Order: sequence, then C-alpha cells, then structure tokens
Amino acid sequence: MILDLERYWAAQGCVLLTPYHTEVAAGTMNPATFLRSLGPKPWKTAYLEPVIRPLDGRYGENPMRFQHYFQYQVILKPSPPDVLDLYLASLAEIGLDMAHHDIRFVEDDWEQPTVGAWGLGWEVWCDGMEITQFTYFQQLGGLDLDLIPAEITYGLDRLAMLVQGTPTVFDLVWAEGVTWADVYRENERQWSHYNFEAAPVDVLTRRFGEHEDEARGLVELELPLPAYDQVLKANHAFNLLDARGAISVAERAAYIARIRDLVRGVAQLYLSQQEARAEAAA
Amino acid sequence: MPKLLLEIGCEELPATACMEAGLQLPDLATEHLGVVPDELWIGPRRLAFPATVPERTADTWVQGPPENLREQAAAGFARRHGVEVGDLVVREGFLGLEVPGVPVEEALPERLAAIVTGLQFAKSMTWGAGFRFARPVRWICAKLDDRTIEAALEGVERGGHTYGHRLTAPGRIEVPSATDYLPTLRAAGVEPDRAVRYERIVAGLDALGLWSDPADKLDEVVYLVEQARVQEGSFDARFLELPERVVITTMQSHQRYFPLGGNRFAFVANGGDPDVVRAGNEFVLRGRLEDAEFTYRRDVDVGIEGLAERLKAITFLRGAGTFADKSDRLVALVAALGGDGDAAEAARLAKADQASELVREFPELEGHIGATYARLAGAPPEVVRAIDEQYRPDSSGGPLPQSRAGALLAAADKLDTLNVVFGLGKRPTGSRDPFGLRRAAIGLCRLAVEGDVVVPRELLVGDVRDFVEERLEGLLDVPVQFVRAARASAAADLAGVARQARMLARAERTDEFEAVLTAFERAHRLAGRAEAEAAPVLDPALLEAGAERDLADALGGAAIEVDDGLEAAAALAPHVNRYFDDVLVMADDPAVRANRLRLLLDVRDALGRLGDFAQIQRAGERAS
Repeated sequence: MILDLERYWAAQGCVLLTPYHTEVAAGTMNPATFLRSLGPKPWKTAYLEPVIRPLDGRYGENPMRFQHYFQYQVILKPSPPDVLDLYLASLAEIGLDMAHHDIRFVEDDWEQPTVGAWGLGWEVWCDGMEITQFTYFQQLGGLDLDLIPAEITYGLDRLAMLVQGTPTVFDLVWAEGVTWADVYRENERQWSHYNFEAAPVDVLTRRFGEHEDEARGLVELELPLPAYDQVLKANHAFNLLDARGAISVAERAAYIARIRDLVRGVAQLYLSQQEARAEAAA
Repeated sequence: MPKLLLEIGCEELPATACMEAGLQLPDLATEHLGVVPDELWIGPRRLAFPATVPERTADTWVQGPPENLREQAAAGFARRHGVEVGDLVVREGFLGLEVPGVPVEEALPERLAAIVTGLQFAKSMTWGAGFRFARPVRWICAKLDDRTIEAALEGVERGGHTYGHRLTAPGRIEVPSATDYLPTLRAAGVEPDRAVRYERIVAGLDALGLWSDPADKLDEVVYLVEQARVQEGSFDARFLELPERVVITTMQSHQRYFPLGGNRFAFVANGGDPDVVRAGNEFVLRGRLEDAEFTYRRDVDVGIEGLAERLKAITFLRGAGTFADKSDRLVALVAALGGDGDAAEAARLAKADQASELVREFPELEGHIGATYARLAGAPPEVVRAIDEQYRPDSSGGPLPQSRAGALLAAADKLDTLNVVFGLGKRPTGSRDPFGLRRAAIGLCRLAVEGDVVVPRELLVGDVRDFVEERLEGLLDVPVQFVRAARASAAADLAGVARQARMLARAERTDEFEAVLTAFERAHRLAGRAEAEAAPVLDPALLEAGAERDLADALGGAAIEVDDGLEAAAALAPHVNRYFDDVLVMADDPAVRANRLRLLLDVRDALGRLGDFAQIQRAGERAS
C-alpha cells in the first residue's frame, strides 16, 4: 500500500522523503511540511511518517489506540484545482473501488494552537470511517501563507484495515504470516509503560529548558533548520511530561505558550530567509 | 423574459456554509439582478438558483453637480465619466448623466461575479483565487436561456457546463439551457434541491420505523449528501450495557446516524454498493463502541469513589483549588440551600466523573456518566438523579432538574462557579464569557424562580449579586423598572426578588400602590438629599404631639414586610401626608430639624423594604 502511494505521488511530481529523524506528533510537524509550506516557493512532497503521541498509548490493549502509528503525508503547494480528484485517484490506486464505497468529505477545521496554525478542510470518510485528513493550510507559526498548500494525511492503519478487511489493527497482515501485533504490540506495552510511568520527570523538565535555550540560540545564529529540530525535541519532552501527568492545567497553558513562541521565532526567521533568497534570485 | 441559471460549483461545503449561503442569495440576487431567485438549490457541491430576469438592465441616472455650479464643476464631472459637457442633461436642478440600460447579457458577467464574491461566511479561506469562500470554488456555470455567460471571475473555471455526482458521474456535463439544469443534474446522480433530499431522507427513515434525532443531525445530513439513500445497520447487542447516552452520542455526534431503538440505527449514504457501505458503517460503529466500552470498563474498575479520590490531583481553576476542593464547597453550599443527606452525597460525588476517562472522550456527557457510575456503586436513586441533572438547565430554555436534590446541586454548582470566577477577577466582558457565567446566572435565576430553590441573596458574593439579579430583568415578564425596584427590596432570596417585582407590577395603578408611591416620593424628595443633616437615630423626646408623634407611632407599629406589606405600607401613607401638611420639617432648631429628617428617612426606608420606588415612573409619565 505504501509502495503504491509512493509510486502514485512520485508520478505527480512529488519529492519522496523518508520519515524525519526525531519524534513528531504529526506528519505536519516534519519540517518538510511545516517549514516548506512557508514562503513563496512551490513544493510538492510525499512521505511516510511514524507519529509519536505518548498520551494515546493504551499498553497494546486497545485495538484502536496507539502511541505510535503511521501517517502518509502529501503536500501540494500550491494546491492544484483538481487536488481532490488526484486524491480520489490515489485511493483507487491502493485498491479502494470508488464505485462500491461511499466517500464523503466531512467538514473538519484544523487548528494547532501549539504551533500557531490553522486551516480548513475535511476528514474524508469511506463508508463512515475516517481515512484521511485533508487541510488547506491558512496560517503556520502565526504567519499567513503566500501559496496555499493542500495537506493530505492518510491514516494508514485504518486504510489498511479497510483494504485488508481485518477487524482490528492487531490483525493487519504486515507480511505473510506476520501481523501488526507480532511487530508492534510489545512496543506499545513497553512504551506505554515508559510514557505513563517510567519517563523521568526531572530529566525531561530539564531537557525541555535546554532544548528551548538551544532553539533560541540557534535562531540568533540565523540557523532556523537546526533550531526547528530543537523545537521538535522540546515539544516531545512536553508531550512526555503531559503523559506522565506532570503538568497541571495551569502549567500546560504556559508550556504551550513557550512552544508557540519558539515556533513563531523559527518560522519568521525561515520565512525571511526564503523571501530574501527569492528576491536575490529575482 | 429570459431564464437565468447560476451554479457555483464548490468543493464540499460545510452544512453551516450551505445555510449561510441560502440565507444570503435572495438578497444578493435582488441587489445585483433586481429580481428574487425563482428557487434556491443548495447542496454540498453546488449553490444554484434559477431567476427570471428582464431583457435589459434598468436605465440609471448619475447625478452630478447642481445646475448653478455648471461653470465650476460640469467639466470635471463630464471628464470623470468620460463624456462631453454637452452630453450632460438637467434634472430637478442638477446636472447629470442618463445611462441607458444594456442587454442583460452584457451586464451579467460582472453581476454574477458580484454575487459569488458577495457571499460572506463565518469561516472562510483562500486557495489561490482572488476572493474568499467557505471552501474552494472550482467552477461557475451560468446560462441565460441557452446562451452561456462567463462570470467575470479570474482563476475559476467558467462556462455552460457542470459536473455530476463526484463518484458516479464525475465528468464534465453540458447544460443545454437554464431550464435543463435540474433534469441534467438528476440524470447525473445529483439531487440539487435540498427540500427534495430532505423529504426523501424523512421518508426513508420513516420506512425503517421509529427513528430519533436527539442531537438534530438531520438538518446537517441533508447538506452532506448529493443523493439521499437511507440505509439500516445494527450493532452487537452487548453494547446496550453501556450508558445509553454514550451509545447515542457515539452514533449521533461522531457518525451522524439516527438511532432506531435497540441495537439498530439508520444512516444516509451518498452512494456506493449498499451492502459494502452498510458493512463499513457497522464496522466503524463497532470500533467506536469498543473503544467506549474499553474506556468504560476501566472507569468502572476504578469506581466512583476511586474517581472522587483522584479529584485531589485535578485543578478546577488556577487559584481556585482542585475539583476535590470544589466538591467540598458544593457539599457546604447544598447544606446552606437546605439540602438533605441525599443532596450532600450527590454533591460529594458530583464531580467525580471529571476524573474519568469516558468524560474525556464524551465531555458533553459529564454528569450523566458520573450518575451511571454512582448507580453501579449502589447510590440511592435520588443521588443518582441529582448527579445526572447537575448541569441543568444547560441553555436558557432548557429543562430544569426534576429532583429536589438535583435542583439544589445544580444551583450550588452555578453559585460556586460564579463566586469563584468573579473572585478571581474574571467576570465576562463584552461577548467574551469563557466560563459561561451568563448562562450560569440565568440558570441560577430559573432554578430559584421556576425550580423553587431558595437561594439566599447573601450567598451571592460581591459583584455576583448584581450580575445574577440583572438576569432577572430579562427573565421575568414584568417591566424592568419593577425588577430594579424589587432588587432594592428587603427580599431575602432570589425568588423573593422575583415575587416582589411581580407584586409591584400587579399592584401598579391600585390606590394602595399610588398612596405608597406618593408617600415614598415625598419623603425621599425632601429627606433623601439632606441625609447628611439627619440625626443618626430618632429621638422620641423631640417629637411634637399631633401629626409628628402619630407618624412615629404608626411607623413603629407598622409591619412592612416583603411579599404582603403593601397594605401595611398604604396604611402609613395618610400619616405621612398629614405630617407634610402639619409639620414644618425644615425647622429652625437644628436638633428638631435633624430629628424630623430622620423620621422621614425612617419612613422612606420602611416603605423601601418593598422596593426602591424611586426606580418606578408613574404609568402616566412613562414614555409609551
């Protein structure tokens, strides 16, 4: 399925990337989406992204909730007029027969206050199941976008269930004779244990501060790309602290504000460099 | 006259955007075409209407400068409009330009574009065309009879063609003429008319039996589909053990299904193979119910007491302690409101479900989930019902709690939130009311007035008292001035203020009311502004025999209480009048004068126990 998507989107002119090397809570946070969506330069990419959401772990007991799962992410900037048709054709490519299914685009407005971002779009339903998030970004890092990208985020586990007709994610066939459960269930158990019970609060709290400081320092050195990695690491530390129950409601808002400030600083710097480069080229 | 057809082809619009467009299109058509649409056809992928338009646009008159300024201004005006001074004509003393109408075909491109860009949505976006819309506009089809009109909008495909159903007829389809639009689309798997889709859905639901729609999803669903096929599905009966509202919310809020009772449900499909689509929807629902069941079992294992224990670690509001602190306050408040042991127990457990996982998944079911867990733990029915009803009324017209303990708990909860949030200095400003304090205040008033909860006014701390009592002004069906007067009365509780306001309004125009109002006004007018001069307390030794002593005696013997004090107050009135006739209040002797002023103030304050009559304008003096 992943190979089919790769082939299809490569044929549409997308740059195929590999998953990012540090933990992200959504494919959107990968710099290939988040930073590249800023600025005047067109950009098309497609990549697989394992997303890490410590709070969503269920010790491998709940067959629909995991702290680690897969998204397939496509960015088309600017969005072409036939973008929805392109998307529907990609579903046919992975074996969903449009004539048999009820595909729906159900309003879903996306907002991520942690990173000052919002967009309008849909959750795409196939026979009532959400299989994709589709978003036209409007703002990222608090900045209006020059070219409006379309973001297509496939929920691969669910799509695979649909295509394979398995009752749960556990039963997905990963390779012949090997199921999802064989590959990942023990991971879920151990990581849930770590996320909820074992992750060291004092160390994570200290690391959050260190990543924050380093990100600021790198912004001053005008290095937005390494700075952005530090923001991702700080964000992951925050998510772990959150899962550990170490953040009160009041503190939460303060942490979110700190991350938002970092993201804003990095996004502004990245954008100004992009614009300067575009001007120099013109 | 020619028939016009405009279709704005969109990517799937949200239901709310469809409704917004439906409301605006008649006005926009009137503004730009001079006619009201013959019909409106609104759906997720197209906003369309037919209209009958005149052959030519109307002649218009562009008014210029007054004729007597011809020398100074005529040339400039003519130049601005690209004509010669000689082309200007005079009408009613003004120079101006007669612009003859043009064939409607020539005007339409601009005017249709103005209609499209004139639509305003609460949430809109950009996507690369030069205007905002709720979702991208992908094509505009416009026909004037059989002629194609190209709307003047850059960046959007325009012409005399449309597109059919996204999945079954996705290709480009020519619309031969304006009147062919509906049959063309129906042949392409699309029912553009919302009313037809609505009827079809209702008929389909009726055919499946007794259906329900507690969350009002039908109005939304009708805008989610271009064709309407109602289907039936079912789920494993074991899920009926879950709290019923969890099952219904799962079906309605998430999936927009219509419960058919038991383990059956109906849904509306937009296409696909019926068996495949049904199986898929059943599969999704099972997954969601399994998730809810999983969460539910984990909560039940912890139990309501265990959940209540966890509240110590959950902040209610920064600066206002934890939910455990809030629970303690609620227990004290329901006691202050006269609650019994059941009410106290309900208050103790009321917030326990804030610690549950299921409420995190179904925040709209807070209270109900806690009630379910309390029932499972063997709590008495009255306690369970009270926990269930604690958030009522949740809208200004919503139902009140049915149980006594529920009403007390609901009042205590609102009272606590109001006092706490105001105490933190976070009162609502303008339209910002993040804690829902207006709704809480209205709910509290209704619980007092309609729900017979005695809410002592002294429990409304600081500014909360005014904030809550101001809501009575809008809530009671008596003129505001009587509510304002009653708020200043000696009524001890919220409902008492309401009763007093109604009593005053009813009594208006009676002789007693008139007499009391007059007496109050006279006393207030004279002594009210000389308050500083008045003696601190009345000295009986300084009273003069006759009218003055009579008044003091009458006042001492009068029992003027709220609710039924009007008669006693009216009995005092003749003494007040005689006092004014016989006694010179502003006596030369300062001590006597001070004492007389004090007597009048005491009279005013005694009458004022019924309310501040200064707030009341006589019926004859009121602007009608």
